[in-house]
Amino acid sequence: MITALRLALRALLAARTRTWLTVLGILIGTSAVVVVVALGSGARERILAEIDNMGSAVIFVFPESRSHSGARVASNALTEDDRDAIRLSAPSVQAITAWSSIRTRVHSAYDSYRTVVMGIDFDVRGFSIRSGRSFTPEEFRNKAKVAVIGQTTRLELFGAHDPVGQTVRIGQHTYQIIGLLAEKGRSSFEDQDDRIMLPIESYRARVSVTSGRRVQILVASARSPAHTAQAEAQIRAILRERHRLRPGDFDDFAIRTQEAFRKNQEEILDLVTTLLLSVALVALFTGGVGVMNIMLISVAERTREIGIRLSIGAREGDILLQFLFEALLLTLTGGALGILLAVVVTIVMRSTLGWAMSIDMNAVIAAVATSTGAGLLFGILPARRAARLDPVDALRKG
Amino acid sequence: MSRLAELRGVGRDYLVGGSVVHALRTLDLDIEQGEFLAVVGPSGSGKSTLMNILGCLDRPTRGTYKLLDVEVGQRTGDERAIIRNRLLGFIFQGFNLLPRTSALENTELPLVYRGLSRKERHEKALRALVRVGLAERIHHTPAELSGGQQQRVAIARALVTDPPLLLADEPTGNLDTLTTYEVLALLQELVSESGRTVVLVTHEPEVAACADRVVTVRDGRIVLDQKNASPVRASEVLKKLKERAEES
Repeated sequence: MITALRLALRALLAARTRTWLTVLGILIGTSAVVVVVALGSGARERILAEIDNMGSAVIFVFPESRSHSGARVASNALTEDDRDAIRLSAPSVQAITAWSSIRTRVHSAYDSYRTVVMGIDFDVRGFSIRSGRSFTPEEFRNKAKVAVIGQTTRLELFGAHDPVGQTVRIGQHTYQIIGLLAEKGRSSFEDQDDRIMLPIESYRARVSVTSGRRVQILVASARSPAHTAQAEAQIRAILRERHRLRPGDFDDFAIRTQEAFRKNQEEILDLVTTLLLSVALVALFTGGVGVMNIMLISVAERTREIGIRLSIGAREGDILLQFLFEALLLTLTGGALGILLAVVVTIVMRSTLGWAMSIDMNAVIAAVATSTGAGLLFGILPARRAARLDPVDALRKG
Repeated sequence: MSRLAELRGVGRDYLVGGSVVHALRTLDLDIEQGEFLAVVGPSGSGKSTLMNILGCLDRPTRGTYKLLDVEVGQRTGDERAIIRNRLLGFIFQGFNLLPRTSALENTELPLVYRGLSRKERHEKALRALVRVGLAERIHHTPAELSGGQQQRVAIARALVTDPPLLLADEPTGNLDTLTTYEVLALLQELVSESGRTVVLVTHEPEVAACADRVVTVRDGRIVLDQKNASPVRASEVLKKLKERAEES
């Protein structure tokens, strides 16, 4: 065994350039696999943490038109009346608010910038005010031309200037900024500081003129995470009744709980990871084919050596082992260096791009197993070819 | 003298492009222990095929081949590998040493397949290299050795397993006269000192003249089998050659 290993090592060192090029193929394949898995598991950890951050009892309700048997069922928009009905008669719902938003250009005295303009019906809950103040109930009622601004938008529009007390123009109307939101940070979906908020009445009256107290999203929270399912059922029942849906009709709205949201995200993530992983595996496979190729060439080139070994008493198994070890050494070296490269790439990507990545022990084990497997798989054919050589032919050819 | 090898009715056919070629037709041959036997014949006569069968590198199509009273002709590949390793030593025309590998390691090679420890391999290989007069060249690779020295490494490799039968296929074909007689003297010593048996294939009459017995093969048959009452003593020829070289 050890002798076969030493022989293999020596043969590989004798053809350095070729050995390293072959190793490179496996190296790239392995590190691609590890990096992809690291990306996937890092993204998963981060997204799941974000979702959990949002509070696990949160329920989103969106209007949704569904086609049914080919016919498109008209969507009933969600309205503030829907919100009020849920607020009144869904006992498992602790609180419910309505949002609308649009992406549009906002102008300041200094600059202009495309940002998310939101109409909100609540006291900027979940967003704390860093300086200035929040909306008053009167401002909600009076459709007051007031706004609070997020950090990103503030920097774009006002730079280092204090925005509180200044004005912005949205469309033809001018709004006074009364508050600056505390930073919330990026989520993977959006920059939560890239926004400007108006009272929803004001938003509906001027920014996005819609009839009938329409809103884009209802956001509810259940009494506790355990009440989420109940709250979802109550909301569904109330909305179906208000939208006059008969039994058997499809919902004209969609309810997303945190759980469903999370599942959804995980599915997308899994899909993307699987896709990338299969590309990486193709790379690894290609590396493996490279190993097989080189081993076949090596066997052909060393026919005479094989003949000599056979003539002095090497058995088929001895020759097989020698060439198999060569293939294994190639792939294992490639695998080990590939993991090393993956670690470096991960650290660099994390620090320069700020991507969440974590090297997964399972990925490392899988990569080692895959490259070893590739070594065996792609080494066995050339090794068998070598071992089955007829000694007389092998000696004659050399 | 006891019998070392016994061939009875041995033949070897090849299929070449759909037609059968009889490399060996029907051949009987006995080889006694301690014999120095030369096989001569024109190229294509079948002497190489005979060597391959004697060396368990090839299997006869028909007939039996007994080595030390054991039938070895029809063994499986691995069994024949073990026989080659234990009972046979090969010396080739082209030396067939592994390149980029020291004389010592080349000599050790048969012992590697016997599973001996490093230390034992070293000791035995060293002894074999001393025996062929290469004690000072053990770390040289074939490229750093002359043809005669390379052939002596090959002989050491054949000797290292202490086999009863040495098979030499045109061992002097690539050597000049002086080194030819050096190698022949070495082979003669091995026969006379340790009772080893040597079968040597050659087409050079001067080489065959050093053997105790000359078997002539033609068209796949043995056509002549002669004892040589007074074989040429290679060591004496060597001495004369050296004296003459010094004079001039």
